[in-house]
Amino acid sequence: MNRRKKLSTAGGFALVLSLAIAGNASAMHIMEGYLPGGFCVAWGVLCLPFLGAGLRAMRNALKENRRVLPLLAMAGAFIFVISSLKIPSVTGSCSHMTGTGLGALLFGPGAVSVLGVIVLLFQALLLAHGGLTTLGANTFSMAVAGPFAAYGIYRLCQKGGVNRRLSVFLAAAFGDLFTYCVTALQLALAHHTDVSFGGAFLKFLAVFAPTQIPLAVIEGILTVLILAALETYAKPELRAAGFIKED
Amino acid sequence: MITIDRLCYNSKLRFVNAGEKFAFAVLTLCACVISRSFLISGFVLLTAGILTVWKGGIPASAYLKFLRIPLAFLLLSSLAIFLNVKERPMDLFALPLGSYYLTGSRASLFYALQLILTALASVSCLYFLSLNTPMPDLLAVLRRLHCPKLILELMLLIYRFIFVLFEISYAIRTAQNARLGNRDYRTSLKSFGALASALLIRAMKKSGALYDAMESRCYDGDIQVLDETYPPKRKEILGILVFEVFLYALVVAKKVLS
Repeated sequence: MNRRKKLSTAGGFALVLSLAIAGNASAMHIMEGYLPGGFCVAWGVLCLPFLGAGLRAMRNALKENRRVLPLLAMAGAFIFVISSLKIPSVTGSCSHMTGTGLGALLFGPGAVSVLGVIVLLFQALLLAHGGLTTLGANTFSMAVAGPFAAYGIYRLCQKGGVNRRLSVFLAAAFGDLFTYCVTALQLALAHHTDVSFGGAFLKFLAVFAPTQIPLAVIEGILTVLILAALETYAKPELRAAGFIKED
Repeated sequence: MITIDRLCYNSKLRFVNAGEKFAFAVLTLCACVISRSFLISGFVLLTAGILTVWKGGIPASAYLKFLRIPLAFLLLSSLAIFLNVKERPMDLFALPLGSYYLTGSRASLFYALQLILTALASVSCLYFLSLNTPMPDLLAVLRRLHCPKLILELMLLIYRFIFVLFEISYAIRTAQNARLGNRDYRTSLKSFGALASALLIRAMKKSGALYDAMESRCYDGDIQVLDETYPPKRKEILGILVFEVFLYALVVAKKVLS
Protein backbone atom coordinates (compact mmCIF):
# COMPACT_ATOMS: atom_id res chain seq x y z
CA MET A 1 0.00 0.00 0.00
CA ASN A 2 1.26 3.48 -0.71
CA ARG A 3 1.11 6.25 1.82
CA ARG A 4 -1.96 8.00 0.48
CA LYS A 5 -3.88 4.78 0.41
CA LYS A 6 -2.88 3.93 3.96
CA LEU A 7 -4.01 7.34 5.13
CA SER A 8 -7.33 7.06 3.36
CA THR A 9 -7.85 3.60 4.84
CA ALA A 10 -7.24 4.86 8.33
CA GLY A 11 -9.26 8.03 7.76
CA GLY A 12 -12.21 6.16 6.35
CA PHE A 13 -12.37 3.76 9.24
CA ALA A 14 -12.01 6.47 11.83
CA LEU A 15 -14.86 8.41 10.21
CA VAL A 16 -17.22 5.45 9.97
CA LEU A 17 -16.54 4.34 13.50
CA SER A 18 -16.64 7.66 15.24
CA LEU A 19 -20.15 7.92 13.83
CA ALA A 20 -21.08 4.39 14.74
CA ILE A 21 -19.72 4.03 18.26
CA ALA A 22 -21.59 5.05 21.33
CA GLY A 23 -20.82 1.88 23.22
CA ASN A 24 -18.34 1.39 25.98
CA ALA A 25 -14.67 1.98 25.68
CA SER A 26 -12.59 0.05 28.08
CA ALA A 27 -8.93 -0.73 28.12
CA MET A 28 -8.18 -3.02 25.25
CA HIS A 29 -8.22 -6.53 26.67
CA ILE A 30 -8.12 -9.25 24.03
CA MET A 31 -11.10 -11.40 24.90
CA GLU A 32 -11.13 -15.09 25.74
CA GLY A 33 -10.71 -17.42 22.77
CA TYR A 34 -9.83 -14.68 20.31
CA LEU A 35 -6.26 -15.80 19.62
CA PRO A 36 -5.25 -19.18 18.12
CA GLY A 37 -3.51 -21.63 20.47
CA GLY A 38 0.01 -21.09 19.13
CA PHE A 39 -0.13 -17.34 19.69
CA CYS A 40 -1.46 -17.78 23.23
CA VAL A 41 1.52 -19.94 24.13
CA ALA A 42 4.06 -17.76 22.31
CA TRP A 43 3.00 -14.52 24.02
CA GLY A 44 2.95 -16.30 27.36
CA VAL A 45 6.50 -17.55 26.87
CA LEU A 46 7.61 -14.07 25.84
CA CYS A 47 6.36 -12.72 29.19
CA LEU A 48 8.21 -15.29 31.30
CA PRO A 49 11.63 -13.58 31.49
CA PHE A 50 10.02 -10.33 32.64
CA LEU A 51 7.95 -12.13 35.24
CA GLY A 52 10.96 -14.13 36.43
CA ALA A 53 13.01 -10.95 36.83
CA GLY A 54 10.11 -9.22 38.61
CA LEU A 55 9.64 -12.15 40.98
CA ARG A 56 13.32 -12.30 41.79
CA ALA A 57 13.41 -8.57 42.54
CA MET A 58 10.36 -8.98 44.78
CA ARG A 59 11.89 -11.90 46.67
CA ASN A 60 15.05 -9.90 47.31
CA ALA A 61 13.05 -6.94 48.55
CA LEU A 62 11.05 -9.27 50.81
CA LYS A 63 14.18 -10.86 52.24
CA GLU A 64 15.30 -7.44 53.38
CA ASN A 65 11.95 -6.37 54.74
CA ARG A 66 8.84 -8.56 55.07
CA ARG A 67 6.76 -5.39 55.42
CA VAL A 68 6.92 -4.97 51.66
CA LEU A 69 4.51 -7.89 51.10
CA PRO A 70 1.24 -6.20 52.15
CA LEU A 71 2.47 -3.05 50.43
CA LEU A 72 2.88 -4.93 47.14
CA ALA A 73 -0.51 -6.55 47.58
CA MET A 74 -2.10 -3.15 48.23
CA ALA A 75 -0.41 -1.87 45.08
CA GLY A 76 -1.95 -4.72 43.09
CA ALA A 77 -5.39 -4.16 44.57
CA PHE A 78 -5.01 -0.43 43.91
CA ILE A 79 -4.28 -1.05 40.22
CA PHE A 80 -7.30 -3.37 40.00
CA VAL A 81 -9.66 -0.92 41.67
CA ILE A 82 -8.39 2.10 39.72
CA SER A 83 -8.79 0.23 36.46
CA SER A 84 -12.33 -0.88 37.25
CA LEU A 85 -13.69 2.49 38.41
CA LYS A 86 -15.57 4.44 35.78
CA ILE A 87 -13.68 7.51 34.68
CA PRO A 88 -15.26 10.66 33.33
CA SER A 89 -15.39 10.52 29.54
CA VAL A 90 -16.49 13.02 26.96
CA THR A 91 -19.04 10.91 25.14
CA GLY A 92 -20.86 9.76 28.26
CA SER A 93 -19.95 6.15 27.60
CA CYS A 94 -18.26 4.20 30.36
CA SER A 95 -14.52 3.88 30.14
CA HIS A 96 -11.73 2.77 32.42
CA MET A 97 -8.11 3.68 32.79
CA THR A 98 -5.44 1.00 32.62
CA GLY A 99 -3.61 2.24 35.69
CA THR A 100 -0.45 0.48 34.61
CA GLY A 101 1.37 3.71 33.76
CA LEU A 102 0.60 5.06 37.20
CA GLY A 103 1.66 1.77 38.76
CA ALA A 104 4.94 1.72 36.84
CA LEU A 105 5.79 5.26 37.95
CA LEU A 106 4.91 4.52 41.58
CA PHE A 107 6.21 1.01 42.09
CA GLY A 108 8.59 0.38 39.17
CA PRO A 109 7.91 -1.62 35.99
CA GLY A 110 9.35 -4.91 37.33
CA ALA A 111 6.94 -5.12 40.23
CA VAL A 112 4.05 -3.99 38.04
CA SER A 113 4.65 -6.84 35.59
CA VAL A 114 4.13 -9.44 38.34
CA LEU A 115 1.21 -7.55 39.88
CA GLY A 116 -0.14 -7.06 36.37
CA VAL A 117 -0.52 -10.79 35.74
CA ILE A 118 -2.46 -11.20 38.96
CA VAL A 119 -4.62 -8.17 38.23
CA LEU A 120 -5.32 -9.41 34.69
CA LEU A 121 -6.25 -12.85 36.03
CA PHE A 122 -8.65 -11.25 38.51
CA GLN A 123 -10.06 -9.02 35.79
CA ALA A 124 -10.73 -12.08 33.65
CA LEU A 125 -12.35 -14.02 36.48
CA LEU A 126 -14.18 -11.28 38.35
CA LEU A 127 -15.01 -8.72 35.68
CA ALA A 128 -14.89 -10.83 32.50
CA HIS A 129 -12.35 -8.49 30.89
CA GLY A 130 -9.77 -10.53 29.01
CA GLY A 131 -9.42 -14.26 29.45
CA LEU A 132 -7.40 -17.26 30.52
CA THR A 133 -6.05 -18.30 27.10
CA THR A 134 -5.27 -14.70 26.19
CA LEU A 135 -3.67 -13.99 29.56
CA GLY A 136 -0.19 -14.22 28.03
CA ALA A 137 -0.92 -11.76 25.23
CA ASN A 138 -2.71 -9.33 27.54
CA THR A 139 0.10 -9.58 30.07
CA PHE A 140 2.62 -8.73 27.40
CA SER A 141 0.76 -5.66 26.15
CA MET A 142 -0.56 -4.30 29.43
CA ALA A 143 1.76 -5.51 32.16
CA VAL A 144 5.07 -5.59 30.31
CA ALA A 145 5.09 -3.33 27.23
CA GLY A 146 2.95 -0.48 28.62
CA PRO A 147 4.62 -0.10 32.02
CA PHE A 148 8.15 -0.42 30.64
CA ALA A 149 7.39 2.17 27.94
CA ALA A 150 5.85 4.54 30.49
CA TYR A 151 8.76 4.14 32.87
CA GLY A 152 11.31 4.59 30.08
CA ILE A 153 9.62 7.74 28.82
CA TYR A 154 9.45 9.16 32.34
CA ARG A 155 13.15 8.55 33.00
CA LEU A 156 14.08 9.97 29.61
CA CYS A 157 12.03 13.13 30.24
CA GLN A 158 13.55 13.53 33.69
CA LYS A 159 17.04 13.29 32.21
CA GLY A 160 16.11 15.75 29.49
CA GLY A 161 15.01 18.25 32.14
CA VAL A 162 11.31 18.25 31.23
CA ASN A 163 9.19 19.39 34.16
CA ARG A 164 7.74 16.62 36.26
CA ARG A 165 4.05 17.08 35.43
CA LEU A 166 4.63 17.11 31.71
CA SER A 167 6.84 14.04 31.90
CA VAL A 168 4.23 12.18 33.96
CA PHE A 169 1.58 13.09 31.39
CA LEU A 170 3.75 11.97 28.49
CA ALA A 171 4.71 8.74 30.25
CA ALA A 172 1.13 7.75 31.09
CA ALA A 173 -0.38 8.78 27.77
CA PHE A 174 2.30 7.21 25.60
CA GLY A 175 2.44 4.11 27.78
CA ASP A 176 -1.27 3.73 27.09
CA LEU A 177 -0.84 4.34 23.37
CA PHE A 178 1.98 1.84 23.26
CA THR A 179 -0.22 -0.79 24.91
CA TYR A 180 -2.88 -0.11 22.29
CA CYS A 181 -0.36 -0.44 19.44
CA VAL A 182 0.99 -3.71 20.83
CA THR A 183 -2.53 -5.10 21.16
CA ALA A 184 -3.31 -4.13 17.57
CA LEU A 185 -0.07 -5.82 16.54
CA GLN A 186 -1.02 -8.99 18.40
CA LEU A 187 -4.45 -9.05 16.76
CA ALA A 188 -3.01 -8.36 13.31
CA LEU A 189 -0.39 -11.09 13.64
CA ALA A 190 -3.10 -13.60 14.47
CA HIS A 191 -5.82 -12.45 12.07
CA HIS A 192 -5.06 -11.20 8.60
CA THR A 193 -7.24 -12.91 6.02
CA ASP A 194 -7.53 -10.75 2.91
CA VAL A 195 -4.64 -8.40 3.46
CA SER A 196 -0.97 -8.40 4.33
CA PHE A 197 0.07 -8.20 7.96
CA GLY A 198 0.79 -4.46 7.62
CA GLY A 199 -2.68 -3.76 6.24
CA ALA A 200 -4.31 -5.72 9.05
CA PHE A 201 -2.23 -3.83 11.62
CA LEU A 202 -3.42 -0.50 10.21
CA LYS A 203 -7.02 -1.70 10.18
CA PHE A 204 -6.92 -2.76 13.83
CA LEU A 205 -5.22 0.51 14.79
CA ALA A 206 -7.88 2.49 12.93
CA VAL A 207 -10.80 0.58 14.39
CA PHE A 208 -9.73 1.09 18.00
CA ALA A 209 -8.34 4.61 17.53
CA PRO A 210 -11.61 6.52 18.21
CA THR A 211 -11.87 4.96 21.67
CA GLN A 212 -8.23 4.52 22.60
CA ILE A 213 -6.72 7.88 21.68
CA PRO A 214 -9.06 10.01 23.82
CA LEU A 215 -8.63 7.42 26.56
CA ALA A 216 -4.85 7.82 26.49
CA VAL A 217 -5.18 11.60 26.86
CA ILE A 218 -7.60 11.23 29.76
CA GLU A 219 -5.33 8.67 31.39
CA GLY A 220 -2.42 11.10 31.10
CA ILE A 221 -4.41 13.94 32.68
CA LEU A 222 -5.68 11.75 35.51
CA THR A 223 -2.23 10.37 36.27
CA VAL A 224 -0.89 13.91 36.56
CA LEU A 225 -3.76 14.89 38.87
CA ILE A 226 -3.25 11.82 41.06
CA LEU A 227 0.51 12.28 41.38
CA ALA A 228 0.14 16.02 42.00
CA ALA A 229 -2.28 15.32 44.84
CA LEU A 230 0.04 12.66 46.24
CA GLU A 231 3.00 15.03 46.13
CA THR A 232 1.03 17.53 48.18
CA TYR A 233 -0.36 15.15 50.78
CA ALA A 234 1.74 12.04 50.85
CA LYS A 235 5.45 12.64 50.46
CA PRO A 236 6.39 9.85 52.93
CA GLU A 237 4.18 7.30 51.15
CA LEU A 238 5.63 8.27 47.78
CA ARG A 239 9.10 7.85 49.21
CA ALA A 240 8.16 4.42 50.53
CA ALA A 241 6.89 3.43 47.11
CA GLY A 242 10.10 4.70 45.49
CA PHE A 243 8.62 7.50 43.35
CA ILE A 244 10.60 10.24 45.09
CA LYS A 245 14.18 9.22 45.60
CA GLU A 246 16.14 12.34 46.55
CA ASP A 247 16.15 14.38 49.81
CA MET B 1 -19.87 -4.93 44.56
CA ILE B 2 -18.45 -7.36 42.06
CA THR B 3 -21.43 -9.15 40.53
CA ILE B 4 -19.56 -12.30 39.49
CA ASP B 5 -18.13 -12.73 42.97
CA ARG B 6 -21.57 -12.37 44.56
CA LEU B 7 -23.22 -14.77 42.12
CA CYS B 8 -20.61 -17.50 42.46
CA TYR B 9 -21.12 -17.75 46.22
CA ASN B 10 -24.80 -18.47 45.55
CA SER B 11 -24.21 -20.99 42.79
CA LYS B 12 -25.64 -24.44 43.26
CA LEU B 13 -22.40 -25.90 41.89
CA ARG B 14 -20.33 -24.04 44.46
CA PHE B 15 -19.71 -27.13 46.61
CA VAL B 16 -18.61 -29.31 43.72
CA ASN B 17 -14.88 -30.01 43.87
CA ALA B 18 -13.05 -27.00 42.43
CA GLY B 19 -10.44 -29.12 40.66
CA GLU B 20 -13.18 -30.82 38.64
CA LYS B 21 -14.70 -27.51 37.55
CA PHE B 22 -11.27 -26.12 36.71
CA ALA B 23 -10.33 -29.16 34.63
CA PHE B 24 -13.66 -29.11 32.81
CA ALA B 25 -13.49 -25.40 32.01
CA VAL B 26 -9.85 -25.38 30.90
CA LEU B 27 -10.05 -28.55 28.77
CA THR B 28 -13.23 -27.38 27.05
CA LEU B 29 -11.72 -23.94 26.52
CA CYS B 30 -8.66 -25.48 24.85
CA ALA B 31 -10.88 -27.60 22.61
CA CYS B 32 -12.70 -24.44 21.47
CA VAL B 33 -9.51 -22.52 20.75
CA ILE B 34 -7.84 -25.44 18.95
CA SER B 35 -10.78 -26.39 16.75
CA ARG B 36 -12.34 -23.02 15.95
CA SER B 37 -15.36 -24.48 14.18
CA PHE B 38 -19.04 -23.56 14.17
CA LEU B 39 -20.14 -27.02 15.25
CA ILE B 40 -17.86 -27.42 18.27
CA SER B 41 -18.23 -23.82 19.41
CA GLY B 42 -22.00 -24.01 19.21
CA PHE B 43 -21.99 -27.28 21.12
CA VAL B 44 -19.72 -25.88 23.86
CA LEU B 45 -21.65 -22.62 24.11
CA LEU B 46 -24.85 -24.57 24.63
CA THR B 47 -23.37 -27.04 27.13
CA ALA B 48 -21.58 -24.44 29.25
CA GLY B 49 -24.62 -22.15 29.15
CA ILE B 50 -27.00 -24.91 30.22
CA LEU B 51 -24.65 -26.08 32.98
CA THR B 52 -24.23 -22.58 34.37
CA VAL B 53 -27.84 -21.50 34.19
CA TRP B 54 -29.67 -24.73 34.90
CA LYS B 55 -27.25 -26.69 37.10
CA GLY B 56 -25.57 -23.67 38.65
CA GLY B 57 -28.77 -21.70 39.13
CA ILE B 58 -27.32 -18.43 37.81
CA PRO B 59 -30.22 -16.24 36.62
CA ALA B 60 -30.52 -16.43 32.84
CA SER B 61 -30.96 -12.66 32.53
CA ALA B 62 -27.71 -12.06 34.41
CA TYR B 63 -25.95 -14.67 32.29
CA LEU B 64 -27.08 -13.05 29.05
CA LYS B 65 -25.94 -9.69 30.35
CA PHE B 66 -22.49 -11.14 31.00
CA LEU B 67 -22.34 -12.54 27.49
CA ARG B 68 -22.87 -9.00 26.21
CA ILE B 69 -19.77 -7.63 28.00
CA PRO B 70 -17.25 -8.53 25.29
CA LEU B 71 -19.59 -7.47 22.48
CA ALA B 72 -18.00 -4.06 21.88
CA PHE B 73 -14.58 -5.64 21.45
CA LEU B 74 -15.99 -8.38 19.22
CA LEU B 75 -17.84 -5.95 17.01
CA LEU B 76 -14.89 -3.63 16.48
CA SER B 77 -12.31 -6.29 15.80
CA SER B 78 -14.64 -8.19 13.47
CA LEU B 79 -15.08 -4.99 11.50
CA ALA B 80 -11.31 -4.72 11.28
CA ILE B 81 -11.15 -8.27 10.01
CA PHE B 82 -13.71 -8.17 7.24
CA LEU B 83 -13.82 -4.56 6.05
CA ASN B 84 -11.18 -3.53 3.53
CA VAL B 85 -10.38 -0.44 1.50
CA LYS B 86 -9.11 -1.59 -1.89
CA GLU B 87 -8.91 -0.50 -5.50
CA ARG B 88 -10.81 -3.52 -6.69
CA PRO B 89 -14.14 -4.66 -5.23
CA MET B 90 -14.29 -8.08 -3.59
CA ASP B 91 -16.91 -10.79 -3.88
CA LEU B 92 -19.30 -10.04 -0.99
CA PHE B 93 -20.07 -6.33 -1.22
CA ALA B 94 -18.43 -3.07 -2.26
CA LEU B 95 -19.23 0.55 -1.54
CA PRO B 96 -17.43 3.07 -3.76
CA LEU B 97 -15.35 5.63 -1.82
CA GLY B 98 -13.77 8.00 -4.34
CA SER B 99 -11.46 5.86 -6.44
CA TYR B 100 -11.45 3.08 -3.82
CA TYR B 101 -14.01 0.62 -2.53
CA LEU B 102 -15.06 -0.18 1.01
CA THR B 103 -15.33 -3.86 0.43
CA GLY B 104 -15.34 -7.30 1.98
CA SER B 105 -14.96 -10.89 0.90
CA ARG B 106 -17.07 -13.94 1.64
CA ALA B 107 -14.07 -15.78 3.08
CA SER B 108 -13.24 -13.10 5.61
CA LEU B 109 -16.88 -12.69 6.67
CA PHE B 110 -16.97 -16.44 7.31
CA TYR B 111 -13.68 -16.17 9.20
CA ALA B 112 -14.99 -13.32 11.36
CA LEU B 113 -18.24 -15.14 12.17
CA GLN B 114 -16.33 -18.26 13.12
CA LEU B 115 -14.10 -16.20 15.38
CA ILE B 116 -17.09 -14.55 17.07
CA LEU B 117 -18.71 -17.88 17.84
CA THR B 118 -15.42 -19.37 19.09
CA ALA B 119 -14.86 -16.37 21.34
CA LEU B 120 -18.41 -16.57 22.75
CA ALA B 121 -18.01 -20.29 23.42
CA SER B 122 -14.67 -19.69 25.14
CA VAL B 123 -16.18 -16.92 27.23
CA SER B 124 -18.98 -19.27 28.27
CA CYS B 125 -16.32 -21.74 29.55
CA LEU B 126 -14.68 -18.92 31.48
CA TYR B 127 -18.06 -17.97 32.95
CA PHE B 128 -18.73 -21.56 33.92
CA LEU B 129 -15.57 -21.43 36.01
CA SER B 130 -15.93 -17.94 37.45
CA LEU B 131 -19.68 -18.01 38.10
CA ASN B 132 -19.52 -21.32 39.98
CA THR B 133 -16.17 -21.22 41.78
CA PRO B 134 -15.30 -18.71 44.50
CA MET B 135 -11.79 -17.27 44.29
CA PRO B 136 -10.38 -18.97 47.44
CA ASP B 137 -11.25 -22.38 45.95
CA LEU B 138 -9.45 -21.44 42.74
CA LEU B 139 -6.40 -20.41 44.74
CA ALA B 140 -6.42 -23.86 46.35
CA VAL B 141 -6.42 -25.42 42.87
CA LEU B 142 -3.50 -23.22 41.83
CA ARG B 143 -1.63 -24.29 44.97
CA ARG B 144 -2.11 -27.91 43.92
CA LEU B 145 -0.68 -27.00 40.51
CA HIS B 146 2.50 -25.69 42.19
CA CYS B 147 2.08 -22.02 41.36
CA PRO B 148 4.92 -20.06 43.07
CA LYS B 149 4.14 -19.40 46.72
CA LEU B 150 4.82 -15.69 46.52
CA ILE B 151 2.26 -15.28 43.74
CA LEU B 152 -0.36 -17.24 45.66
CA GLU B 153 0.21 -15.17 48.77
CA LEU B 154 -0.04 -11.96 46.77
CA MET B 155 -3.23 -13.21 45.10
CA LEU B 156 -4.83 -14.02 48.42
CA LEU B 157 -4.01 -10.60 49.84
CA ILE B 158 -4.96 -8.74 46.66
CA TYR B 159 -8.31 -10.52 46.54
CA ARG B 160 -9.04 -9.39 50.08
CA PHE B 161 -7.76 -5.83 49.52
CA ILE B 162 -9.82 -5.32 46.39
CA PHE B 163 -12.97 -5.31 48.49
CA VAL B 164 -11.44 -3.09 51.16
CA LEU B 165 -10.43 -0.53 48.56
CA PHE B 166 -13.78 -0.71 46.76
CA GLU B 167 -15.55 0.04 50.00
CA ILE B 168 -13.31 3.03 50.67
CA SER B 169 -13.74 4.30 47.12
CA TYR B 170 -17.54 4.13 47.35
CA ALA B 171 -17.46 6.07 50.61
CA ILE B 172 -15.20 8.70 49.10
CA ARG B 173 -17.39 9.00 46.02
CA THR B 174 -20.49 9.49 48.14
CA ALA B 175 -18.70 12.15 50.15
CA GLN B 176 -17.58 13.88 46.95
CA ASN B 177 -21.08 13.84 45.50
CA ALA B 178 -22.44 15.33 48.72
CA ARG B 179 -19.91 18.16 48.40
CA LEU B 180 -20.68 19.02 44.77
CA GLY B 181 -17.98 16.86 43.22
CA ASN B 182 -18.64 15.10 39.88
CA ARG B 183 -20.99 17.87 38.73
CA ASP B 184 -19.56 18.38 35.28
CA TYR B 185 -16.62 17.17 33.27
CA ARG B 186 -14.03 19.42 34.93
CA THR B 187 -15.04 18.64 38.46
CA SER B 188 -15.35 14.93 37.75
CA LEU B 189 -11.77 14.83 36.48
CA LYS B 190 -10.67 16.65 39.62
CA SER B 191 -12.77 14.38 41.81
CA PHE B 192 -11.33 11.27 40.23
CA GLY B 193 -7.78 12.48 40.81
CA ALA B 194 -8.56 13.27 44.44
CA LEU B 195 -10.31 9.91 44.86
CA ALA B 196 -7.40 7.92 43.48
CA SER B 197 -4.76 9.71 45.50
CA ALA B 198 -6.77 9.46 48.73
CA LEU B 199 -7.29 5.79 47.95
CA LEU B 200 -3.56 5.18 47.56
CA ILE B 201 -2.75 6.94 50.84
CA ARG B 202 -5.40 4.92 52.66
CA ALA B 203 -4.18 1.71 51.02
CA MET B 204 -0.63 2.27 52.19
CA LYS B 205 -1.71 3.14 55.74
CA LYS B 206 -3.90 0.02 55.82
CA SER B 207 -1.10 -2.19 54.58
CA GLY B 208 1.14 -1.02 57.42
CA ALA B 209 -1.60 -1.69 59.95
CA LEU B 210 -2.28 -5.07 58.39
CA TYR B 211 1.33 -6.11 58.73
CA ASP B 212 1.32 -5.17 62.41
CA ALA B 213 -1.88 -7.15 62.91
CA MET B 214 -0.45 -10.18 61.12
CA GLU B 215 2.79 -10.04 63.05
CA SER B 216 0.97 -9.86 66.36
CA ARG B 217 -0.78 -13.07 65.32
CA CYS B 218 2.49 -14.93 64.75
CA TYR B 219 3.00 -14.26 61.04
CA ASP B 220 6.38 -15.67 60.04
CA GLY B 221 6.34 -15.47 56.25
CA ASP B 222 3.52 -17.92 55.65
CA ILE B 223 -0.16 -17.16 55.51
CA GLN B 224 -2.00 -20.23 56.72
CA VAL B 225 -5.54 -20.51 55.44
CA LEU B 226 -7.99 -23.23 56.28
CA ASP B 227 -8.82 -25.03 53.06
CA GLU B 228 -12.41 -26.02 52.54
CA THR B 229 -12.16 -28.79 50.03
CA TYR B 230 -15.03 -30.86 48.81
CA PRO B 231 -13.99 -34.33 47.71
CA PRO B 232 -14.50 -35.13 44.03
CA LYS B 233 -17.40 -37.48 43.26
CA ARG B 234 -16.87 -40.48 41.00
CA LYS B 235 -20.04 -39.77 39.04
CA GLU B 236 -18.99 -36.20 38.23
CA ILE B 237 -15.48 -37.21 37.18
CA LEU B 238 -16.93 -39.87 34.91
CA GLY B 239 -19.33 -37.34 33.36
CA ILE B 240 -16.55 -34.86 32.70
CA LEU B 241 -14.32 -37.57 31.28
CA VAL B 242 -17.01 -38.80 28.87
CA PHE B 243 -17.78 -35.25 27.75
CA GLU B 244 -14.13 -34.34 27.16
CA VAL B 245 -13.36 -37.57 25.29
CA PHE B 246 -16.39 -36.96 23.08
CA LEU B 247 -15.41 -33.32 22.52
CA TYR B 248 -11.80 -34.08 21.65
CA ALA B 249 -12.87 -36.94 19.37
CA LEU B 250 -15.02 -34.36 17.59
CA VAL B 251 -12.06 -31.98 17.36
CA VAL B 252 -9.79 -34.67 15.94
CA ALA B 253 -12.47 -35.87 13.50
CA LYS B 254 -12.96 -32.30 12.31
CA LYS B 255 -9.19 -31.81 11.78
CA VAL B 256 -8.85 -35.08 9.91
CA LEU B 257 -11.86 -34.47 7.67
CA SER B 258 -10.93 -30.95 6.63
